[in-house]
Amino acid sequence: MKKNKTLGSTMTNGLPWILPAFIFVAGLIYYSIFYTFDLSTLDWNGLDPIQTNVGMSNYDKALSDWIFWKAIKNTVVFFLVTFVIQNFLGFIFAAILHSNVKLATLHKCLIFIPTILAPATMAPVFRLLFSPQGMLQDLFDALHLGITVDWLAQPNSALFILMIVTIWQFTGMSFILYYAAMSQIDKEMLEASHLDGAGKFRTLWSIVLPNCQSTTVSLAMLGIIGSLKTFDVPYLITTGGPNHATEFLGTYIFKQGIRQSHLGYAAAISVLLLILAICGAILISRMNKGGEK
Amino acid sequence: MFETRSLKSKIVLQVVLLLLTIPYAIPLVQMFLGSLGGTGFLNYKAVWDTGVVPVYFRNSLIISAGVIALVYIFSMTAGFGFAKLRIFGKEVFFWLILVALTLPEVILLSPLFVTFQKLHMFNTFWAVILPTAALQLPFTILLARNFNSGIPSQLMEAARMDGASVFSTFWHIILPLTKPIAASIIVLTLINSWNTYLLPLLFLQSSDMQTVTLLPQYFQGEFTNDQTKILASAVLTAIPVIIVYLFMQKSFEKGMSAGAL
Repeated sequence: MKKNKTLGSTMTNGLPWILPAFIFVAGLIYYSIFYTFDLSTLDWNGLDPIQTNVGMSNYDKALSDWIFWKAIKNTVVFFLVTFVIQNFLGFIFAAILHSNVKLATLHKCLIFIPTILAPATMAPVFRLLFSPQGMLQDLFDALHLGITVDWLAQPNSALFILMIVTIWQFTGMSFILYYAAMSQIDKEMLEASHLDGAGKFRTLWSIVLPNCQSTTVSLAMLGIIGSLKTFDVPYLITTGGPNHATEFLGTYIFKQGIRQSHLGYAAAISVLLLILAICGAILISRMNKGGEK
Repeated sequence: MFETRSLKSKIVLQVVLLLLTIPYAIPLVQMFLGSLGGTGFLNYKAVWDTGVVPVYFRNSLIISAGVIALVYIFSMTAGFGFAKLRIFGKEVFFWLILVALTLPEVILLSPLFVTFQKLHMFNTFWAVILPTAALQLPFTILLARNFNSGIPSQLMEAARMDGASVFSTFWHIILPLTKPIAASIIVLTLINSWNTYLLPLLFLQSSDMQTVTLLPQYFQGEFTNDQTKILASAVLTAIPVIIVYLFMQKSFEKGMSAGAL
């Protein structure tokens, strides 16, 4: 794009075009970030006229808080598992729907609809579905499998259920992006691969997937950001429980800051989350540069 | 991708697709069946008779419209400015906005909680509209700038030769040419602002100000955990979204996939 020079110097200064947007975004966001730093040094409930300055002790508290580390661990596991499964499924759907199958639009809509529905709307549905009163239990009972569906109440399985919900929600996203990427692949390359005797799965793995690499990078980026932002699904389906088994940084900040009025402590965790988000952003821009080579 | 030629492989592929898609339909089926439990369709009547559903819809519409208006105006003007105009320190401004791209909204929780309390902004739509728009903008400005960069500057140069002002160039040349990206930005912003939950949960406490994402909670209080009615309200909330999507499939898919560059 460098060839398109910006308009000549006789053009009026462009500052008024960006300034309103800049002031709005930077004003609100940087004000909040600096205020969060400030709050993180206080022991304060947000209402009381008395604020006690406690220096860095909120940070010490966070770093030795097992729930904080549990939330980080959950975020990492959550990202890795959802990233692999969701994109694998999205990739397979894209490949199948690029073939000559019937009712392609119907299938596409069914995969994509979860992406646009609010997690808040679907949360009660998942609470029912994964409870002994839900459809799955009826199905298991009908098959006499003797399985009790109480997975949301079990610390070992609750996080896994939240991953299923998230995969259900975002496969449509992976699918749409891979679908678009596959439309760009040269048909002759695929033909050549077939003529060389490569099987269909072989071609998918060694020709199609590498050609979708920039899409995979984009999806990794969305996945990292999304995992750090996770709030609605754990908050509404398990409230982070049982016993913090599904706690995320977002739900923990909300509980500490708003529910229990430990505003200073919540702010300190927010700052740590901010640092993680910035690390994520740097990682992403590195990956992007790597992808463009 | 799978160039199926034989009938057998066609059928196999079709069956595989069906089996893979069924799990995606299960929650939707559960939602609908669950909403018919107990008193059947009367659940819908009970939910509708509370009269709150249209109010919550109206509130979500107001908030979405407000966010879209702010995001549209700021993305279009700033995207044009960043791509095509001469600005001192442009890269610094752009970078400062871009840093906020990965910012989780929960970080804004504590400061906004205190600030909006001081400014008496609790229970106002602004408390949701302003932060939602500010968090959406870094991304949409990036989209708009990238799109604007692809428009040949010669077009604008020609307009300038004809004596057009920057504003009329923007109005008559840029706005019509950027319609595709504007549509994506609007759809993306619509989905995000319609589905927003955390900020309404925190700032909209009176029930005549709340949004559709808070409906399940409202009915949990109203019907003391009668799941069937909560699911009926979920169906009523989901249907308009699904209908709008079915009518505008292409724009939705484009808008969502604009999410990855």
